Amino acid sequence: MRLAMASLQKFLSNPQGLKLMGKQLRIALAGNANVGKSVIFNQLTGLNQIVGNWPGKTVERAEGTLHFEGYTIRIIDLPGIYSLSTFSMEEIVSRDYIATEKPDVIVNVVDASMLERNLYFTLQLLELDPPIILNLNQVDFAAKKGIKIDAEKLSSALGVPVTQTVAITGAGINELLSTVIAVATGEEQFKPLRVTYGKEIEKRVQTIEKLVSTKLPQICAVYPARWIAIKLLERDEDVSGKIRNYENGKEVLEYAEKLAGELEKIHGEPSPVIIASERYSLATKIAKAVTTVETPPKISLEQKIDALTTHKILGYPILAGILAAIFALIFIGGNFVSAGFDYTFGILTSQTANVLSQFLPEIAVDLINKGVLSGVFAGISVALPYIVPFYILLALLEDSGYLPRAAFLMDNFMHKIGLHGKAFIPLMLGYGCNVPACIGCRIMETQRERLLSAFVVVLIPCAARTVVILGLVGRFVGLHAALGLYIFDLVLVFALGRIAFKVLPGEPVGLIMEMPPYKRPSIKNILVKTWSRTRDFVFIAFPIIIAGSLAIVALDATGFTNYIVNGASPLISGWLGLPVLAGIPLIFGILRKELTLILLAELIPLQSLTAVQMIVFALVTMIYIPCLATIAALKREFGWRKALTITLIDVGLALFLGGIAYRILSI
Amino acid sequence: MRFRHRRAVAKPQVATDSKEMVSLTCLEEGKSGVIAYTHGGCGLVRRLAEMGLTPGVEVKLLRKCPFRGPLEIEVRGTALALGYGVASKVFVKPSRTEANG
Repeated sequence: MRLAMASLQKFLSNPQGLKLMGKQLRIALAGNANVGKSVIFNQLTGLNQIVGNWPGKTVERAEGTLHFEGYTIRIIDLPGIYSLSTFSMEEIVSRDYIATEKPDVIVNVVDASMLERNLYFTLQLLELDPPIILNLNQVDFAAKKGIKIDAEKLSSALGVPVTQTVAITGAGINELLSTVIAVATGEEQFKPLRVTYGKEIEKRVQTIEKLVSTKLPQICAVYPARWIAIKLLERDEDVSGKIRNYENGKEVLEYAEKLAGELEKIHGEPSPVIIASERYSLATKIAKAVTTVETPPKISLEQKIDALTTHKILGYPILAGILAAIFALIFIGGNFVSAGFDYTFGILTSQTANVLSQFLPEIAVDLINKGVLSGVFAGISVALPYIVPFYILLALLEDSGYLPRAAFLMDNFMHKIGLHGKAFIPLMLGYGCNVPACIGCRIMETQRERLLSAFVVVLIPCAARTVVILGLVGRFVGLHAALGLYIFDLVLVFALGRIAFKVLPGEPVGLIMEMPPYKRPSIKNILVKTWSRTRDFVFIAFPIIIAGSLAIVALDATGFTNYIVNGASPLISGWLGLPVLAGIPLIFGILRKELTLILLAELIPLQSLTAVQMIVFALVTMIYIPCLATIAALKREFGWRKALTITLIDVGLALFLGGIAYRILSI
Repeated sequence: MRFRHRRAVAKPQVATDSKEMVSLTCLEEGKSGVIAYTHGGCGLVRRLAEMGLTPGVEVKLLRKCPFRGPLEIEVRGTALALGYGVASKVFVKPSRTEANG
């Protein structure tokens, strides 16, 4: 404390000190999807924003802080977008953030190998008039493709500082930071390019701009008048919606509408297309002027893999093979490791019980042994062997860039349930954990498609449910039965998806998706990602598992078990044909799905169950309710009503199918 | 739904007024064309323009999947996947002088 006071005094007595306190900067990372913003964000902040080689990972803006040369810098990682129009929520959110929050510097991250398309976004940023740094990322990858960009030339063409990074290795990050500070302090002066359009457009933009700045001074305080003018000419619904509320808004809107109509008559195309074409032709001009393609690149290994994995015929067996290999590895490998753990922990538990019972009363031994120890051991032996390998393989798929290929191949199939190929990505993620998968549904374009994808995603057996299916059915009944459950689940997803597609009003949307090039996955990134996902499991699941186990012991000791059992017995044993005690784990399973198996094992020796009971139990666990975390994610994305509807549908469905399965399998 | 798909596919033949223009779905793999126009809802046309599919730009069809599956094209140095329905709304003038690629 004294030390802190002393340093504060020293700090205040230093004339520089007071100024230091104000040395706070806010910078935002903006740019196209999949250019490496999140990698740069992680390099800057040391945080672990999930990165991967597929467009649309960063669905929420992430924030972090870093200290550099006496500055406290807050960094915001905006979601990747291709434009600043109103196509998606992300685009509106991003441009409103830039215009209203006015960060000190915008770092426009650009994929150096795709300068032209990326510059389209840059030009739109320039229209919003913020202080910009253009950061060419992945310059190593561009060089490999034979592409070289003259950074100085680009800088003078755009009138903004240009930096270069290879974010994966961290090269250039310090220079980027120094430039950020130089721009923020005004040390580096620059004059951004004013994007001008062809004569016909320009004339109209300027007329509307004049009108906007005289008639609507309030909105010009937030957005540049010229930007408003361009957006009105583009028939931007969000901007016109904002303006309509103002006093002179209608008048301006009508006038802009008239001019947009004139423009369309001259060009014979919709005005947004005319303006987009103009922006693109400028982007092309600049890109051509600064880029030299040195050697036409040879067909690389990555391109060969690409051609093979998206081949119109071979692509499908390869996709099936990859998925089969993943499951085989987890099924067989997980079983093997899990059995090993079981054996070791079995010995450990009985040994500790022996030791403890010498100096503790029986109830305490029970509490420690059954509650804490067996809970932890079950958590480790049941869950980790399946969860860790799954996350590693998923990270590999994500980082290599295979997921968009799979999405491409599955497009046709996904249309059958009213979605397009992109929905396959959250579906795949769902096999890991439903929570990020539900949030990942934001890569779908419309609210209707997001809801539809989330609805099918929660039916995908996540790693925790895999634990139950494999740990119970796979181990005691056989892998063929476990596989049968998975196939049944896919059929169910398809059938329900199709029904939901027919029931939900609205038109299906077609696929438009960037195909990122294949990249060699970095081992470090895969390990970091696997760890951060596993960590969630360890830190969130284990306390719940222990609490659940303790609750079971307590319920048993107080005699409450009978109470619950009697109440639920018509449903659990009458309808589902399970031992009545199985109702308890199913209740606790709402917290975490793997709890159902762990608690079941504590209540009933698993071997005493019949094969039919095991299958029914696993089937019910697989469908009956999204876990609490998933329900919370659904609520956040779609609101309470839809989250509860999905939950109720799943519960009803699980009980219905469980009863049917019991009757059919018992024959 | 089936009906809706059919209609979307049938449209191109009606809309192609010039013989030279074909829908992107009719282009052969490996062949290029210059975009003449895109049609469809305002949102789709705008979206395609923003992804670089503006009139006058050259596109190359990299591959197409069978059974009205999606297409992969190269435009402005990037690879894009388009669903069949989307691609059928993009009209191109096939390039005659084919660069080997």
